[in-house]
Amino acid sequence: MAGSPVIRVRGLVTRFGPQTVHDGLDLDVERGEVLGVVGGSGTGKSVLLKEILGLIDPAAGRIELLGHDTADLDRAERTALQARTGVLFQNGALFSSMTVAENVMLPLKEHTDLSPALIAEVARVKIAMAGLPPDAGTKHPAQLSGGMIKRAGLARALALDPDILFLDEPTAGLDPIGAAAFDTLIQGLQRSLGLTVFMVTHDLDSLTSICDRIAVLVDKKIRVGTLAQHLADPHPWIHDYFHGPRGRAALDAKERNQARRHEEEDARRLAKG
Amino acid sequence: MRAAEPVAATLAKDGAAKDGARIEAGNDPGLPDGGWRIAAAGRWTLEWATAVSDALDRAPKPPGGAAVRLDLARVEALDTVGAYLLNRLAERLGADGHAVSVAGLRPEHAALFDAVRDAGKAPPHPIEREHHPVLDMVVRTGQTTVNAAKEILDLVGFLGLVTVTFARLILRPSRLRLTSVLFHIEQTGLNALPILGLLSFLIGVVLAFQGADQLKRFGAELYVVNLLGISVLREIGILMTAIIVAGRSGSAFTAQIGTMKVNQEVDAIGTMGLDPVELLVVPRALALMVTLPLLAFYADVMGLFGGAVMAYATLDITFGQFIRQLHSAVGINTVIAGLIKAPVFALVIAMVGCYEGLKVSGSAESVGIMTTKAVVEGIFLVIVIDAVFSVLFSMLGV
Repeated sequence: MAGSPVIRVRGLVTRFGPQTVHDGLDLDVERGEVLGVVGGSGTGKSVLLKEILGLIDPAAGRIELLGHDTADLDRAERTALQARTGVLFQNGALFSSMTVAENVMLPLKEHTDLSPALIAEVARVKIAMAGLPPDAGTKHPAQLSGGMIKRAGLARALALDPDILFLDEPTAGLDPIGAAAFDTLIQGLQRSLGLTVFMVTHDLDSLTSICDRIAVLVDKKIRVGTLAQHLADPHPWIHDYFHGPRGRAALDAKERNQARRHEEEDARRLAKG
Repeated sequence: MRAAEPVAATLAKDGAAKDGARIEAGNDPGLPDGGWRIAAAGRWTLEWATAVSDALDRAPKPPGGAAVRLDLARVEALDTVGAYLLNRLAERLGADGHAVSVAGLRPEHAALFDAVRDAGKAPPHPIEREHHPVLDMVVRTGQTTVNAAKEILDLVGFLGLVTVTFARLILRPSRLRLTSVLFHIEQTGLNALPILGLLSFLIGVVLAFQGADQLKRFGAELYVVNLLGISVLREIGILMTAIIVAGRSGSAFTAQIGTMKVNQEVDAIGTMGLDPVELLVVPRALALMVTLPLLAFYADVMGLFGGAVMAYATLDITFGQFIRQLHSAVGINTVIAGLIKAPVFALVIAMVGCYEGLKVSGSAESVGIMTTKAVVEGIFLVIVIDAVFSVLFSMLGV
């Protein structure tokens, strides 16, 4: 299956009453890439995410996940497919009656036949990989800060080693330092686990720092491209988005970071030579 | 159009069905000083984790002190579970005093292997201390008692706060939110009429039917009217009303105020220099104190009507006879003895509902917990106070 897109959306139409949200939307997400999805409020970013996850049925169109049309699957096949996707919802969506460790263990208990001891150990590793302190596992979601809830949600999303990770505004509500740390975490996990990441976001810093490609929802369709391609796009919304004061600030920060990295590399090379 | 492929086979992690994970262990003459080689092969992923875990336990142990080479060259697929199991193996061998070296790790697996090794280094979360069942029960009993006492104290404090606010409003009646009061009168009073009417009518029917059955044996059928009149007017009408209102409106108060608390609306009211008690609690309490006596009277009428219908159907007591008998059986005192309790019940239900609503903290889950609590506490207090009234009335000879 290498080479074929892991998510393929064709001719997607979404309507809520008289209002059309998506009209003939096409999208391909390639294996191993980080795709950022942006768009103005009400353009249906989260709706698109829910349609791909099968939580909302589109009015028309085909959605293929890992080469399978989601509309054709029976219950068992759908469950098998769901085990290969992980979702981090906007507010974590941790089960409030369970501890963090129990939250992470739940998918492992439901979908695998591992021994309880091994499940507990795997959950501990996932919690540590998500960057949480060891004592976080015994806490309930109500005892955690916003950033820790996101990390715990990420640990649960990664419990079954999914192929595709869906993130709904992962850095919303985090302070800039926490958001940057979360971006770094996602990038590190994406590289080490070989994930495909589908990320709905409003955070320009996330877009410029960790996304390989950016999908922009405009005019009820989607335009996918690299950051450079979007910067050259004359479409008014896209232009305003990337060239507005916040867009500029994020791009400047990216350039500064790159310049610093080059300097560091040069310094290292000099020190070596 | 692609050819239809067997979905289940490809869904299981890219065809994992064809080959599992294997482990081979043995002496390797190629290694210096009697080295031991453990070779992992196949797919070290979640699907095979149990089999691998078992195989690892069964694999022959290296002789004491031998250097072990962990050969991962033939590992085809690796995920977190596989990486964890391999790391655990290396760690255990290291703990047994073997010098462990990892060889042949594929570059695409290296990042994951390292990430899991680093994560595995974190100390396991502390295990909570063992609980002693008897001791736990004693502790829980104590906690519950203390909490209940605190709750009663707080509720009395809250009653005081509301009373003071009431008094302030009497001095400055312009501050009373009349619209809000009327809205809650509609919600708690008018909208409760259908359900309360139906239930009271049915209770009247049931009482008359059961009473008639017993009294017929003594030929005292007509006294069914006395039974109905006294029981409905003194106790059942008002008690039914209070219980239904506690379930309907007390819970609604908690849910409404609790949701506002979760949305920080109550905090917002405070920052604008407004008083949450004046804005949220007083209109609800006032509305309920107006509607509950009216509802109770309505329930009395409907209960008696149900009884009258049943008396006519089973005992051939006409409505005229029923009314005449009712006149001789009950006086105005009986009606007042029932209805005088209504404002007190109204205040208790409104207090508990609003108090629990204001105690909601943070999560939506807490709204549910507090709403349940408000209903249980409301009904509990209504029945306790009803008993107090009964004792009081019998002492006063009413």
